[in-house]
Amino acid sequence: MTKTKTNLEEQIAEASYVCGRCGSCRNVCPVYQEIKWESSSPRGKIALAKDIFLKHKSDKMTEFYTRRLLECTLCGRCEEICAAGIHTRELWLDLRESLREKGRLHPNFRHLSEQIALTHNISATANEYRLDWTDDLDDFEVPQSKDGSEVAYFVGCVSSFYPQLAEIPQSIVKILEQGQVSYTVLGGEEWCCGFPLISAGMSGEAQALARHNMEKVRALGVKTLITGCASCFHTWSEEYQRLLGEAGGEAEKGAGFEVLHVTEYFARLLREKRLMPAGISETVTYHDPCDLGRNSGVYEAPRDILQAIPGLDYVEMCRNRELADCCGGGGNLQMVDSGLSQAIAGRRVGAAVETGASILVSACQQCVQTLREAARKEKLPLEVMDITELLWRVLENERGV
Amino acid sequence: MEVFLKEIFGSRMTTDPFELEQYTKDIAYIPPILVRLLAKPWPRAVVQAEEPREIASLMHWACQNRIPVTVRGGGSSAYFNAVPVQEGIVLDMNRMQGVGAVHATGKAEEAAVWVQAGTTWYDADERLRRQGYTLRSYPTSAPAATVGGWISLGGLGIGSIRYGHLREQILGVRAVTAGGEIVQVDNPGLKSEVEAGLEGSGLCFDDFFGLEGTRAVITEAHLKVRPLPEKETHLVVVFRDVRPTGRLLQGLGQVSSVFNIHFSSPTFVAVLQKKGYALELPQERYCLAMDLAARQTEVEEAVRTIRREVQSLGGEVLAPEAGEAEWSSRFKALRLKQTWPSLQAAELLLPVEHFAAFHEALTKLANRKHTVVVTYAHLVSPQTVLLMTLFPSDELNTLRYLGDLSFISRIYAVGKFYGGKPYVVGLWNTAYLSDMYTSKALKRRWERKQKLDSPNILNPGKAYKAPFFLSRPVFGLGMGFLGALRPLLRAGREKDD
Ligand SMILES: Cc1cc2nc3c(=O)[nH]c(=O)nc-3n(C[C@H](O)[C@H](O)[C@H](O)COP(=O)(O)OP(=O)(O)OC[C@H]3O[C@@H](n4cnc5c(N)ncnc54)[C@H](O)[C@@H]3O)c2cc1C
Ligand code: SF4
Ligand code: SF4
Repeated sequence: MTKTKTNLEEQIAEASYVCGRCGSCRNVCPVYQEIKWESSSPRGKIALAKDIFLKHKSDKMTEFYTRRLLECTLCGRCEEICAAGIHTRELWLDLRESLREKGRLHPNFRHLSEQIALTHNISATANEYRLDWTDDLDDFEVPQSKDGSEVAYFVGCVSSFYPQLAEIPQSIVKILEQGQVSYTVLGGEEWCCGFPLISAGMSGEAQALARHNMEKVRALGVKTLITGCASCFHTWSEEYQRLLGEAGGEAEKGAGFEVLHVTEYFARLLREKRLMPAGISETVTYHDPCDLGRNSGVYEAPRDILQAIPGLDYVEMCRNRELADCCGGGGNLQMVDSGLSQAIAGRRVGAAVETGASILVSACQQCVQTLREAARKEKLPLEVMDITELLWRVLENERGV
Repeated sequence: MEVFLKEIFGSRMTTDPFELEQYTKDIAYIPPILVRLLAKPWPRAVVQAEEPREIASLMHWACQNRIPVTVRGGGSSAYFNAVPVQEGIVLDMNRMQGVGAVHATGKAEEAAVWVQAGTTWYDADERLRRQGYTLRSYPTSAPAATVGGWISLGGLGIGSIRYGHLREQILGVRAVTAGGEIVQVDNPGLKSEVEAGLEGSGLCFDDFFGLEGTRAVITEAHLKVRPLPEKETHLVVVFRDVRPTGRLLQGLGQVSSVFNIHFSSPTFVAVLQKKGYALELPQERYCLAMDLAARQTEVEEAVRTIRREVQSLGGEVLAPEAGEAEWSSRFKALRLKQTWPSLQAAELLLPVEHFAAFHEALTKLANRKHTVVVTYAHLVSPQTVLLMTLFPSDELNTLRYLGDLSFISRIYAVGKFYGGKPYVVGLWNTAYLSDMYTSKALKRRWERKQKLDSPNILNPGKAYKAPFFLSRPVFGLGMGFLGALRPLLRAGREKDD
């Protein structure tokens, strides 16, 4: 359930009172690392929240502070390291909700919400074109809202509407076909999962999307819902329970299906020998998407996939798993300051190159897009792809295609 | 001023009040009424240096124009150490980060590395680990505290029991003097402050340690480091009573592979457990978390020795998971604030032989004053513990908060009785300078400061002399008054317990 204005403000006040101003969160924050002014650090933002919400100094809610609150990727690095155990990510979301309450939303967020209300997706394209990415698939038809399927594949807006990323959903369905999985997609019945709205402080508006998606997937009677998008996964597995008011696991239980990220599902298929990858001779490193790793706790499945590929030389980035740095693409930051987002991505691809890897994979379309752009801009000798694209590449080799 | 600063620092300088306000605070809450009485914390500008040459230009200009400069690292100190008390410029060091390559140095061919002053200890360690090395010691604020900050303040923490004070781990420092000269000062092994004083106005090694950035700006430090240990083990032992805890503490400094010893009082554990933390620890026990690091055989031998000792003292060694959990939460003491969002603290260096007696006296005092106190501590040398005592307060109630300040002076008084003294000075502890130094040492410190920084522009108002309201007689009166008032201001305190 979404919070009322009173309990929202009380929670902000409470969390900010706990902050000890120690600054442990500062150096790990990708935004502070770029801006370097205290006001951009988690501690700086909390200090002002404390003044405004605990000490009722409302004049401190300035334009500039609003901007600082939106300069955040919601990566959760600050929460992981917080010396006082504050759930900072939730605090940032609450603060964004309060910006909405106060009519201080970023114009691009408002535009986003209007867009989603109109098309039920984050692009300007009508939702019935959700399956345009399947146009290039000549060998098979992608089943749409097919009754009796075991698995529903929730594609996500970024994969569906960004042609430059079409190879990701294509790889996913090709792998499903090869694994002889009985699956279906929802096509035009799939709506935005609501994550961009939650990130924008408009979780109330995300409720309708959650309800719709939950109903449609339930109606299919599938056993498993999979998604290749880390943020859709986080929203389905962590946020829908709250949005739909179904406490602790009830949403999943009530729905009668499990929610898995594709990496978890494909790792399962590999274990069951339903997928048999060929070898590849490449050095590969993996970027943990914040919404899959730190914010949802999935670390091993992607690594299991990579380690199941014969000949692949797997190297870890120095900061990995719960300590992984952000790609810069989260928290709707691109809508607020795309330059800042790119600068953060630049650091992350730099760290990937330091490992000696020739391929950087991630498990999130948003990360892939941001990191790919950064590697291109920095002219780095690094191929950036989704883990499903790499997996399909080696499965394709195995088939001798 | 602005034109000059802009020329050197460009967009890395600000006079925007929105930014400046952030530099008027540190980790401790001080009621505005007190701040107004004692300090002018608003800087006129904040600048972020990227290289020593910029700092040299700044200092040269500041010296000529007599404008105070306060250096700021992580801002994780608590006594206004990094907050200006006479306005001026704040020099933010956080852009000067970086760790060089580990190399062998000196006759002993010890491993060492140059680290930039704005690097946090946490980052330094992460980067060293990539090279197969690790720090010899670091503060429990490692994710926040910078190399320059910990050299300038404290220098005792995790690893000190094994490797000594930070001073012993530093081979040299690069710095900028108050007059704007770029220098390198090597550890001579070596000259004391007294010898340096005889030598003239050139900086000596001791001018950096614990001196709160009042004599020079550190830009880089040459640190001794250690190879990653073959074996690390983490244990927790618990006792029903503080006496055997104290006795064990006294002996632990002699165990060769001991790297860190952390004490938690039963009340500290209870307050954490209220919010679901530290559940692996039993209730109503005095806990010692012990971290051992060395060769496998040495660690195993040390564990055997400790087990024997614990048994003979009637204590208990907990399951290994407890040790792991304590170690992985070593940077998380502030979780206490989940239960007590507003608290006050007294930090003491105390002879380990009086640890138990001090603790008993503190408990008595706390009971008498109807105050719940929690204590945690690190054994920082075979003879000394660095002890933190905290109690709940309420910064939303200024009178109560002021009243509670008097309790800190009561804790210090008990500490003094047992041979203890406050750990760092800053502004607020200038009231205790005479407990920390002899009058001769204080005089010498001040003379040295005047030699190195005659216009007194580097972090003025700290470390050497108390301002009027913190001078001993005035402070004593003030604390006496607040102490008398405190029982009347205790409304609502029960809910802390
Ligand atoms: C949770 C927590 C745990 C802590 N644990 C410990 C501990 O184990 N041991 C301990 O000693 N302290 C501890 N502290 C206190 C504090 O973190 C340390 O004193 C730390 O060394 C301060 O470093 P900083 O970079 O934050 O310095 P700041 O707070 O920014 O500055 C401290 C002083 O150093 C000066 N200074 C900073 N950088 C430079 C420089 N480059 N050149 C010259 N002067 C400089 C400043 O002017 C100031 O006087 C702890 C604090 C917290 C919040
Ligand atoms: S969530 Fe990430 S970007 Fe946002 S404040 Fe925390 S560390 Fe910084
Ligand atoms: S680490 Fe936590 S307690 Fe420390 S300043 Fe950051 S938010 Fe506050």
